[in-house]
Amino acid sequence: MTIPVVKGLDEQGQRLDSMDFEKLVFQAAKKAPELLLETYGQHNIGIRLEREGGLTLRLKGPAGQRLGCMGMPGTEIICEGAASDDVGYLNIGAEITVRGNATNGVCNAMANGKVYIAGSIGARGLTMTKWNPDYQRPELWILGSTGDSFAEFNCGGIAVVCNVEAKNPQNVLGYRPCVGMVGGTIYFRGPIDDSYSKTNAKLQALDDDQWQWLRERLPGYLEKIERPELLDELSVREEWQALMAVSPQERALMFSGPMPMAEYRNTFWNNAFGGGDPLRDLAPGLDRSTIDAIVTGEMRRYKPWWANSEKAAPCTYYCPIHIPTVDRLRLIREGRIDEAYELVLGYTPLPGSVCGAICPNLCMENCSRGGVDQPIEMQVLGRSVSRHQSLKIADPLGKKVAIIGGGPGGMNVAWQLALEGVEAHIYERDDKLGGKLAQVVPWERLSQAIWDEEIRRFVETPNINVHLNTDMDKESFTKLHDEFDYVVIAVGTHKPRKLQFPGSNKVIPALDFLKKAKSDNTTKVGKEVVVIGAGNVGCDVACEAYRLGAEKVTLVDIQKPLAFGFEKEAAEKHGATFLWPIVTKEVTDEGLITEDGDLIPAQTVIISIGDVPALPFLPGSVETVTVGGASWIKTDEAHLTSDAKVMAIGDVERPGLATNALGAGKTAAEYILANFKNIPWQPFSKEVIPLQTLTITHYVPESAGSSENEQANRCLSCAACRDCHLCETICPTGAISRREITQKEVAGVPVEADYEYVSDDEKCIACGFCADTCPCGIWTMNVY
Amino acid sequence: MVSARSVSVTPSSLTYSDHTWIIQHREDRCTLCGQCTAVCPRSAIYLAHRRQRIPKLDVFAHKRETEYRNFTGIRQKTEMQNSCIGCAMCEMVCPNEAISPLPNANENRSLFYHNGKGEPYKRGGRRNATGPTLLDRIMFDRISMLTDPALDAGRHEFNITTSLGRVLPPEEFLEKSKNGGWIPPTREIFPFVIGSMSFGALSPNMWLGLLQGVAYCNEVLGIPVVMCTGEGGCPPWVLKSPYLKYIILQIASGYFGWDEIIRAIPEMKCDPAAIEIKYGQGAKPGDGGLLMWYKVSKLIARLRGVPEGVDLPSPPVHQTLYSIEESVMKMIQTLSTAFSHKVPVYPKISASTSAKSVLNNLVRNPYAAGLMIDGIDGGTGAAYDVSMNATGHPVASNIRECYLDLAAQGKQNEIPLFAAGGIGKNGNVAQNGMALIMLGASGVHIGKYIMQAAAGCLGNEKNRCNVCNVGICPKGITSQNPKLYRRLDPDLVSQRVVDVFMSIRTEVKKIMAPLGRSQSLPVGMSDALGINDKDAAERLQIKYVC
Repeated sequence: MTIPVVKGLDEQGQRLDSMDFEKLVFQAAKKAPELLLETYGQHNIGIRLEREGGLTLRLKGPAGQRLGCMGMPGTEIICEGAASDDVGYLNIGAEITVRGNATNGVCNAMANGKVYIAGSIGARGLTMTKWNPDYQRPELWILGSTGDSFAEFNCGGIAVVCNVEAKNPQNVLGYRPCVGMVGGTIYFRGPIDDSYSKTNAKLQALDDDQWQWLRERLPGYLEKIERPELLDELSVREEWQALMAVSPQERALMFSGPMPMAEYRNTFWNNAFGGGDPLRDLAPGLDRSTIDAIVTGEMRRYKPWWANSEKAAPCTYYCPIHIPTVDRLRLIREGRIDEAYELVLGYTPLPGSVCGAICPNLCMENCSRGGVDQPIEMQVLGRSVSRHQSLKIADPLGKKVAIIGGGPGGMNVAWQLALEGVEAHIYERDDKLGGKLAQVVPWERLSQAIWDEEIRRFVETPNINVHLNTDMDKESFTKLHDEFDYVVIAVGTHKPRKLQFPGSNKVIPALDFLKKAKSDNTTKVGKEVVVIGAGNVGCDVACEAYRLGAEKVTLVDIQKPLAFGFEKEAAEKHGATFLWPIVTKEVTDEGLITEDGDLIPAQTVIISIGDVPALPFLPGSVETVTVGGASWIKTDEAHLTSDAKVMAIGDVERPGLATNALGAGKTAAEYILANFKNIPWQPFSKEVIPLQTLTITHYVPESAGSSENEQANRCLSCAACRDCHLCETICPTGAISRREITQKEVAGVPVEADYEYVSDDEKCIACGFCADTCPCGIWTMNVY
Repeated sequence: MVSARSVSVTPSSLTYSDHTWIIQHREDRCTLCGQCTAVCPRSAIYLAHRRQRIPKLDVFAHKRETEYRNFTGIRQKTEMQNSCIGCAMCEMVCPNEAISPLPNANENRSLFYHNGKGEPYKRGGRRNATGPTLLDRIMFDRISMLTDPALDAGRHEFNITTSLGRVLPPEEFLEKSKNGGWIPPTREIFPFVIGSMSFGALSPNMWLGLLQGVAYCNEVLGIPVVMCTGEGGCPPWVLKSPYLKYIILQIASGYFGWDEIIRAIPEMKCDPAAIEIKYGQGAKPGDGGLLMWYKVSKLIARLRGVPEGVDLPSPPVHQTLYSIEESVMKMIQTLSTAFSHKVPVYPKISASTSAKSVLNNLVRNPYAAGLMIDGIDGGTGAAYDVSMNATGHPVASNIRECYLDLAAQGKQNEIPLFAAGGIGKNGNVAQNGMALIMLGASGVHIGKYIMQAAAGCLGNEKNRCNVCNVGICPKGITSQNPKLYRRLDPDLVSQRVVDVFMSIRTEVKKIMAPLGRSQSLPVGMSDALGINDKDAAERLQIKYVC
């Protein structure tokens, strides 16, 4: 049987166009299983041809583009020469043999079938291939080499590239193969330029299954292209390699760059700087290694510090005597009552009379407990010390000091010196100690029982010598100056300030009035009394006037009255009225006539506008300063005057509270003692602890109570650790622990705790919880 | 009942809801581990002990008493110096999702207290202006499909470089090549440059991490990225290293670190990429630079040749320059000469209505290698809020005007323009950069984007964090305190730099391929741009599309 021939040229030798030629082939294929096609560049040869039992097309003459396009299973196409573009385009099963080279686009989108090329191919071979698992994988066999961009987006095709008589034997897969390849395999033999897409394909040696697959099929391929003699040459397993698709899972694990950063640093970066850190010359030894966000030890930005007693509680700070009430209450909580009292008596001889009675208690005014409920009751605390007796007296120092004036200031100088073994001589003009406290403060404000007890304790104290009824003049002062190591002037203010107006001679000075009122030999007052000057002394005057029989007391002032606290309350309770602004024009027997001409009826008019120092004894060596028409002694921080042996304390420096005088007395005594002992004088210098550093919410409001123990329990212990262990408990890393230490003492009295809390640097992360939790404000976070 | 507060309250006291950021703390989740307070850069939070009064009132039994409950929780401080900055480091370290700062949706009154001690608010970061920028709104609307060669960003080869340096007109180039004569140096660089952030503004780990990433991009990936030092000098070992060629050295009015640079010139193994002369900065134009004292560590002081712990201002004007002509001539010539006329030297100015005057001077100066224009949306380490928010000029129209001016003179291919200021502000770094390139820039500088993408910078335009000026950067990017900057792993920074540039490269291809461009950057290819804003389209001379 002859094989039908379909001619590509018509009788006139004119080329049939592809449409007509394809129709002829399509008809002929229905009749015969094998056709000879004398093609003349017609395209799409083999498209839509399918014949039961198979169909063979043999091409003689130039083939057009897309040979074997959409080829069906069972169709075999043999092209005797070279082929043009897109051989096997969308082939789904045909077997296509090209006995020469093929150009670009071989096997584009082929899904099944086989393409055998006996030469090399152009660019973009085996691109977009598919593989449906119900069918065989598409295969492309190339004897020579491929052009560029081979196997782009290859999904299932298998290529075999043999590098025999290749167009490009130096680079058999061309430039940049396998871009976007997701499946299939490329077996190749010979060199490549390593430009394949590394994120899509991986290079590997053939495994046994792959080698067997290749070995089994090589003879058939060589048979098809009629080169069986090459079998031995192509059968060297070591010469073959495979490019396999990288899976998305593998790709997700790959760094898309070609070298890990650590390798780059070690291999190149470090060596670029002469083998070392590039900052080693600027900052020798600089450690730049990585640390965590949460660190311990040296890398923390803050460090906790247990600043026990480094600051002062407000009560101590604002008290002019700086009595350490927090320590005293701690001792009471610890059951060490005697030590607590000794501690207080180390600061003042008059705790009952002053702290417990007449002091306006600046300690309470500033007490932190006020933030919880109400301040610590200082009057309870003051009074409880009034009867304590046992005092430790230091050995004699062989020094003696003269104190002129036996008021609270002078008494405290003598007291402090006496306790430290210095002979103290008080020279008092009056017939009793205590100055104005004894002379003018009404007994209703200062319990006589407590006062007498405290004066007795004072007078009985060794080293204290009291000389009453002793006036001082220049001569006697000089004598004291010569005989004593120091002379302390504490005479206060005992010259009443007066105003000049008609009838001012009818006016009684408040000082004289109060002294007389408190003496055994009291005066009478009229039914109506006017007090000029409505301060606290004016209020005392009013109270005493009522006590002595007055029925109506009027306090007048040129400004808003300065009276405050219990003096004012007491006067108001008696019914005193306050009038202001009133300027006195005249005082007559009828009473006080104001500048406006009004009469305030009064049989007695008392003036209470303050007192000034009387200093007739003062030598020229002691400088004074004139303020408000009176002379006051000029002193420094230690209360030293311009005469190095003379000190001055209390109201002679400037008017103040009894507590100010007591504080000045203590400071002056400390200065003197420091000089006697030849040690540096250290004034009180602690800062007050800020309220916000305390954590007061640990406490719940309760009633203040009236006992010393209740006050001790209510104390917030500002700035002094109360050993509550809260820091130890709250610390999230267990860094804080408590340990015992040697207790610090002053004059035999323990002033600081016998333990401390410490934070372990290796555990602490500097969260600051200790500082945020500490009720007493002890833990501080310092920049580190 | 007396208040249990320890802090006194006045009518101008601030409370939580007056602050920019509000700490949300869930006591039911908190383990009291202390990590949040330990990590907080502002000490803005603390462990609070609170007391609650619980009255027990029984009207029928005639019983009444008060009980108290104490509870703990993390609270924020309300003092301005401890105001929460929203960095969310607390949230990051919290093992139990118990804490996070939330932006205050209400008006926050703390702004009224931003001027303590009479000093207006200073910060780092970028203009507090949110929402899409003009650049974000530009579309690349010229898509070649069957018309021009259709390109595939994934498989085609692209050449994504730009020329930094003066390009001679062809006839002049030929004449000089033939007869001998100075041909200005040029560099082919990646068009996205890491903008000027100084060694000092940045921490050592950040700065060196960036350089390591840049070196990797060049040497391993072949992406010719360069970075600018900013004005703070360059470590001598880096100056003597082969990486100098990837570095643009900046000189500015403070002249910090230039003694070390000059000292190193004889030992340099290669030339620097270029020299940038800073006259202005977009974030704070006319305001100069400032490295606040917090950041002048021993190391920084040593590199800059200044005392430790002092404020280092770079004044707004160079002391020895009095006019454009002088600025351009003196500075460019000196620096060009210093490197044997083999290194491009160009000025950086703030975007401004006067930019064209500067440009025209540069055009006439044969040594000028380009012009860098920095727009108002640029970032900074330290500036007054008012300078950052309200002073300056957006970069887009400024670049466009300058480019069109060059085009009118036929010089657009001779003197490259670089643009900066807010590129990638909303993350669209390649889109923003390519929009500017098609408007006429030869390349762009990116700074804050790099800090955010490469090192996890937390700053944003809602004033999150933005404390670069005071050296407490919680990520260690802008701090000179080793306790902070050692948190930053330079290897991770460099890895991220590489990631960023690889992806910028891909995105640039994705933009260029549809234009049918693969071998030359589409500088000035404004026919490819459209915007759905008629006014902007008219101003930029691009298409209005909708």
